[in-house]
Parts: sequence; C-alpha cells; structure tokens
Amino acid sequence: MKVFRSTLVWPLVALVVLLVFNAVASPGFFHVEWKDGRLFGTVVDIFNQGARVPMLLALGMTLVIATGGVDLSVGSIMAVSGAVAAMQVNAGAPMVQAVGAGLGLATLLGLVNGVLIARVGLQPIIATLVMMVAGRGLAMLLTGSQMVPFANRSLTWLANGSVGGLPVPVVLVLGLAVVTGWVLRRTAAGLFIEATGDNEKASRRAGIQTGGVRFAVYGFSGFCAGLSGVLEAANISAADPARIGDTRELDAIFAVVAGGTALTGGRFSLAGSVVGALLLQTLTLTLYNQNVAPAVAPVPKAVVILAVCLLHSPRLRARFGKRTQPVAA
Amino acid sequence: MKRQSFLRLAGLAAAVSFSACKPSGSGGGGGGGAAGGGKLVVGFSQIGADNPWRTAETESVKAEAAKRGIELKFSDAQGQQEAQISAIRSFIAQGVSAIILAPKVETGWDGILKEAKAAKIPVVLVDRGVTVSDPTLFATLIASDFVAEGRMAGEWLVKKSGGKAGIIQLEGTTGAAPANDRKKGFEAAIAGSPDMKVLASQTGDFKRSDGKNVMEALIKAHGAAITAVYAHNDDMAIGAIQALEAAGRQPGKDVTVVSIDGMGFAFEAIKEGKLNCTVECNPLLGPMAFDAVAKALKGEELPKQLVQEDRLFDETNAPAELPNRKY
Amino acid sequence: MNRIFASRLLPLMATGLVLVALFAAAGAGYENFLSARVVLNLFKDRAFLGVVAVGMTFVILSGGIDLSVGAVMAFTTVFLAKVIGGLGWSAPVAMLAAVGIGVGFGMFQGWVIHFFRIPAFLVTLAGMFLARGMAFVVSPRSVEIRSAFYDDLGERGLPLGEGLLLTVGPLVYLVVVAAGMVVAHGTRFGRNVYALGGNEASAALMGLPVGATRVGVYALCGGCAALGGVISTLALSSGDPTRGTGLELDAIAAAVIGGTVLTGGRGWVFGTFLGVLILGTIKTILDFDGSLDPAWLRIASGGLLLGFILLQKLIARRSVS
Repeated sequence: MKVFRSTLVWPLVALVVLLVFNAVASPGFFHVEWKDGRLFGTVVDIFNQGARVPMLLALGMTLVIATGGVDLSVGSIMAVSGAVAAMQVNAGAPMVQAVGAGLGLATLLGLVNGVLIARVGLQPIIATLVMMVAGRGLAMLLTGSQMVPFANRSLTWLANGSVGGLPVPVVLVLGLAVVTGWVLRRTAAGLFIEATGDNEKASRRAGIQTGGVRFAVYGFSGFCAGLSGVLEAANISAADPARIGDTRELDAIFAVVAGGTALTGGRFSLAGSVVGALLLQTLTLTLYNQNVAPAVAPVPKAVVILAVCLLHSPRLRARFGKRTQPVAA
Repeated sequence: MKRQSFLRLAGLAAAVSFSACKPSGSGGGGGGGAAGGGKLVVGFSQIGADNPWRTAETESVKAEAAKRGIELKFSDAQGQQEAQISAIRSFIAQGVSAIILAPKVETGWDGILKEAKAAKIPVVLVDRGVTVSDPTLFATLIASDFVAEGRMAGEWLVKKSGGKAGIIQLEGTTGAAPANDRKKGFEAAIAGSPDMKVLASQTGDFKRSDGKNVMEALIKAHGAAITAVYAHNDDMAIGAIQALEAAGRQPGKDVTVVSIDGMGFAFEAIKEGKLNCTVECNPLLGPMAFDAVAKALKGEELPKQLVQEDRLFDETNAPAELPNRKY
Repeated sequence: MNRIFASRLLPLMATGLVLVALFAAAGAGYENFLSARVVLNLFKDRAFLGVVAVGMTFVILSGGIDLSVGAVMAFTTVFLAKVIGGLGWSAPVAMLAAVGIGVGFGMFQGWVIHFFRIPAFLVTLAGMFLARGMAFVVSPRSVEIRSAFYDDLGERGLPLGEGLLLTVGPLVYLVVVAAGMVVAHGTRFGRNVYALGGNEASAALMGLPVGATRVGVYALCGGCAALGGVISTLALSSGDPTRGTGLELDAIAAAVIGGTVLTGGRGWVFGTFLGVLILGTIKTILDFDGSLDPAWLRIASGGLLLGFILLQKLIARRSVS
C-alpha cells in the first residue's frame, strides 16, 4: 500500500504544478459556473475530454501493460465500435442496442488479440499491430470509408448530457474505474494480473492460468476502447472511421507509464493511470489556453514529459527523501 | 492436437490473406498497359484516406476510370511521401500508361518524376502542386488555389463583420500545404483591417472531433470576445458549431462561422442558419484528370496549371445550390 | 553440433524462407514482379527505414525502446536543407554534422534513461516531441535542397546491368547492415548489449559496463536515425518536418518480424534486414495489385503480415521438437 502511495504522489505533483502554472498564467482557468443545469468550465472540460478517450483507454491499457504486454489496436477498435453504433442507430435500433453492438464487437476484437497472444504465442506488439491496421480497415469497410452522421438524441446524450451537473462521460468512466479497481482488489484478479506480468513462469507453476489472464485483459482493453469509440462518436454525432482514435494508443501508454505502472509488467496502479490521463489532458488544454503555436507545441510537451520523468526518477526520489523502496540493480 | 489446430490456423490465415489480395475476376497486372493492346492502365498514387474530402477525390478518380474502361491501379500511401514514391516505382515497373499523383508535400519529387519521364510515362498532378527543377517533368496540375480560398474567406468575413471581429482560427493538419496556404491567404486578407483580431489559432487537424474539443477550450478562454470562427475545413467548422451551441452561443447569428471545402453537409448547415459561408474546394477531379491523361498520351501540350475556380457560398446562394452538391 | 547451430538460427531461416515463398507467390500472380528492377526498388525505397531499423534493433536488444527516431530523421532532413541551402555549408560537412547531432541527441537520451532510471518509453517520447518541434522551428514546410554535391551523388552508383544502378542510399544501407552484424556478433560492445538485454542485474554483477553500453546503444540509434535522414535527403533532395511519422513503429515491427524480442536479449540484425524486406514486399504486392480500396488495403496489409508471422512460427516450431 505504501508503495502505491509513493508512486501516485509524483504524477499528482506534476499535475498540481501544471495547475498552479495555469492559476497564474491563464486567468479564468479555474472558473466554473452552473449553466443550463450542468457544470461549465475549463476544469470540467479536462475531465470530460479526458474521460472520453485518455482515461478510458488507459484503464484497459493499464491491465494489459501489467501483464507485460501492450495494445496498439485501441484506436482502431474505437473506430470500429463508433462505426457500428452509428450505423445501428441510423438503421433504427434503440441506443442501448447500438451501444451494445459496438461494445460487443470491440470486446470480440480485443479477445482476438488475446487469442493471438495467449494461445498462438505472438508477441503482443505484433499481434496488436496487425489488429491496428486490419481493424482500421474493418471500420472503413463497414462504412464505405465515409463519415456516418446520425441524429439520435439518446446516443448524443451519452457524450453531451449531464447527470447531477456532471458530464455523463465523467460519471461513466470514473464509475468504471472505481468498479474495476474494486473488483480487482477484492477478488484475486488483480493479484493474478500482477503475478502474470511479474513472472509468468513462476505464476503458471503456482497454478495461475496466465493464458486466461492475458486473454481476459485484452478483451477488457477492447471493451474500454469500444466504449471510448462510442463516446467519441456520440460527441460529434457522427462516426469518423478513418480518423477517430488515430495515435491515441500512445496517449494511453503515456498515461499508464506516467501513472507509475512499469512497461515490463507487474505492479499496476489504476489511480495512477487516471492521474496520468488527467495530466495529459491538462497539458493539452494549457497549450490551447496559452495559444501556443501548433507547430512548436511539441516542445513544451516534451519539457513537461521530461519533468514528469524526472519526478519519477528513483534517484531524485531517494535524494528528496520519501520512504521509497531501495533501488533495484 | 495443439500443433494440428495451429497448422490449420496458419494455413487459413495465409490463404485468406493471399485471396484477399488477388483481385476477384481479372488477373493481376492485366497484361501491362504499355505492352498489350486493349485496356489502358493508369496508376493513381493517393496520399491517404484520412478525410471525407480525400475519399470523395478517390471515388471520383475511380468512377471516372470505370466509366472510360480504364484499369486503375490505386495506391494509398497512408500519409507517407516515401510510400507514394515507392508506389510510383511499382507503377513504372509494371509499365502503366500514365500516372496520376496527388503529392503529399511540394518538394522531393524530382528524382521519381525523372524516372517516370525516362520510362515515357506522363504524370498528371492533382490537388496540390510541386516544386521541381524542370517543368516538363509533369504534364499538368489540376488543383485549387488554397491561398486564394483563404483570401476569399477572409475578404468575405471582413465585409460581413464590418471590419471588426474577434476571430478564432481552426487550422488544418500542422505542416500540410492546404493548412499553411489557407492560413496565409486569410491572414493576408484581414491584414488591412486592424480591428479584425485573431484571438487564438490552434490546430483541429481537419477533424470534426478535434475542432469541437479545441473550440470548447477556447470558448472558456476567450468567452464573449469571440464573434467569428474561421475553420480551414467544413468538418472542423461543424465541430466548432457543436461546441458553440453547447456553450449557449448561437453559431450563424452571434458568432459568424466561415469555412472552406463546400461539402454537402456544409450547405445543409448554411440552410439551417448555423454556418455562414463556405468556400468551395472541389475534390471531384476525376474527369479533368482523365481528360488531361488522354491529351498527354496523344502528345498534346497542356497548360502547366488548370486552376479550379472556387466559388463562395453563403446564405444568399447556398440553399439554391444544395441539390447540385455531389460531394 | 550442427543441430544446435541450426536450431538457434532457425527462426532466421524460417523468416528468409517465407520471404522467398512470398516473393515467388507474388511473382506468379503479378506480371513483372519477379524482376531485378523490383528487387532493386525494395532496397532503394526502404534504405532510410533499413538504416533506422538497424539502430532500433540494438536498442531493443538492450531491453529498451526509442520512439524518437522518426522525429530525429525529420529534423535531420530540414537541418540539412537549411544549412546547405540557407547557410551555404558544404554538403559533406553538413551531413557529418547532422549525424553528429543525432549521435549527441541519442547519447543525451541514453544518459537520462540510465542516470535517472526513467523508463525509456517516457524519455524517448519526450525526445520525439522535442525533435519534431525543433524540426518545425527550423522549417514549417518542406524545403528543397539544391546542391551540386547532391546532384552528383545522385548520379553515381554501382551498375547492376540492364541500366540499373545501386545508388548511394541503398549502398550505405547495405554497409550499415553488414557493420551492424559485425558489431552485434563480433565485438565486446555487441556482447554487452545482448547481456544487458538478457538480464540487467546479472550483467551488472558480472562487471559489464551497463551505463556505457546503454548510452552507447541510444547514441547508435540516434546516429542511425540521423543517417536515415541523410539518405532520405539524398533520395528526395528535400527536407520535410512532417516526414517520418510512424517510422518508429515500422522500425520496431521490422525488428520484431525479424526475430528480435521486445523484452530484449534475443534477436539478429540480419533478421531486421529481412523484416524490412518483408514489409517492403507486402507493400509492393499491394501496389502491384492496385485493385483494392483503402479499406481492403488495410485489411490485406494486416492479413498478409499475420499470415507471414504465423507461417514463420509454424516452420520454426515444427522443426524444433
């Protein structure tokens, strides 16, 4: 538990520093008002935009990375689920059915990844790379490479509506995160995932179904990507199969790694990934607020990422004294 | 047991991939255009399939080829110039009769165009121009003038707003020629009016979702100061309109929204009163491209550039034009 | 003795075998595919990727990853365009400087990764953003390179008959692959890289220079990325800040297809060489076919790659009882 707390602190510190910068440099950054029955403000946007894609993808990606793998296909799976949901509502299906179909197909694609990795034994990067390319093709095939606009109020509400003043995506995603975390810690699932990532051979010898664990986490990653794709389509009331989700897997991996989960697998932190996603979204909105020229925007991004890195560094941590575990050779 | 099922899986995957690759019906390569008589073979090197405009352009070229009974070799480079060049090399190796190229960037084509010229294959450029050392390296260029598009949008906005506006500019993909040029043209057009202020200029990557996200953020930052939005394409404009509505503003009424491309859904938005103006950028270049190919193959001289006349559409003429929109 | 040797290199042989089979099948299906010209094109078009992939192989072998290679390549191309065109530097000097910058940038990344013990993913991601941003600062749009040296170099090459020329780019690529193989299997540095990737703790306990090795691989990778940029400018005579997006993924894919394991410690430079050829062959097949629309193109691309990997696994697994 103490280890968790110390890995969470540092991305939080980075986030706080960014927020302080904005408090000084962007007047009105923290201004939140109540408008049309919901909260309205930059901070709300950070949570709302952050929930729809980075947070959700990071949720699934955390578990995948915890098993020592990676999922490059999340962006393409987003495209597929968005396309399916849009086409369904256009064909007259009720929102729940449309969303269900999208989520179902997305989870299925994730499970295909799982089969390739756990059963056939492909390296995760290759298997999910194949799905990334072929999945995008599938999304484009389903829609004839066209954008699919729709006019279904309840689907649009999923991304634009509010519950008790909070945007629906925020409620959905934070809820999912809390439930997932609770299930993982209450049952042995979390333990199995960490064990599989930490030392697969030993875990198998100890009786853990490592194949089943990996199969499941890729399915979950697909599910999260599916939900994200539906929310993104709902946001603009259109599915955009060629472009939605493009390069988002990188954002997700960044959020997970910045949040304290190691790429080599083992210990993971869902809370850390959520903070990592918020950090990323705050950075993006900071750059908009400061009107940083788009061409040079990568440079301040690099500086912030480097700063997060340094904060993570065990060397610096040891020097500044928190009770962390000794640095492994 | 494991090995058997694995074997079957492997064989199936390989078979599926190969069969997905072969064109159903006609044999691959079709006798090579230059060699055999009969069907003409033309290679089309497209940049990618990343937005509806480009998809419309591809469809137009494909449809026109089918109409004229020409076999089209289509290559989608997924946004990489090097992939476009290797596609053209493959076309040359196959002996196509002509090549249509939509170049991703303006420079770097000298080498490959020289190879095409040496193989006596005429090249028709569409959509964007190139800078080359020798103008005879390509037959002709069929494109819109992006700078002019930006300028038209700017001039219209100056007139509409009476020379005073707080503008949000939503740029296209960073580094892309249309984005660079539409920005240049617009900023030149408003330069003469000091009260036309660009409050912020950020990239929406030509996407509807990014346009909405960016606009959302900028509304919080600039609030009531925003009286106009200039988007480099219609997609981003629609996203901006959605963001404005969510924030309680009235796009089309208290915020003037201008964009470029002239897609069908933009015309609908003008009819609904949410979009104020769109400058046309016609992607249906297929017919013109093949006309040029036909002429080039006959050895005719073509003007170096066939500029498409872009028209501007606002509430005065858009609703009437709507039924004619083919893209 | 022979059997041990054979089984160790088996994945490599499987890769080569399937590549040949793929090529033959394509040749049967498409006219003009089996020609010297097409094979030469494979090398010409992929020279820059091939060089970058060699550097990436070393990094992955050491247990790391380098996401900045595409951005470094792009920066190199605009840097060359600016100094040769704008500042009038001589081309050879500019190229040397460019590679030097790449090496230096890589060294810095390697040092940060090692000294601060920060995940390579994060550091090189930051490096990628930094290099890409700097590329745009140097030039927001693509720029021509007009240089007599470039024109001259473009004409030279090894004649291969049929009027075909092995130009400087692919030549450098082949030299880099050969050098890479020598370094990986014939030098102490190479052995250290493998050891580091296999098990860092053991390597340290054995007294191997972990820090120097790590900095070294990233320096090598940065240098290769810059060299890839140089080759790119030789081929296109232009610099472009948007070039090379996604290059890191292609390089990693080539290495993994060639048998390098992402966790480190196992792999071959020659395998990566084959991997680059495979990616190129798949693309050439799809270009020759030309009948697929963008959706099917992507599906076929993924399908071909998958089929390839499965066959590769099948052959390698079958013979190792």
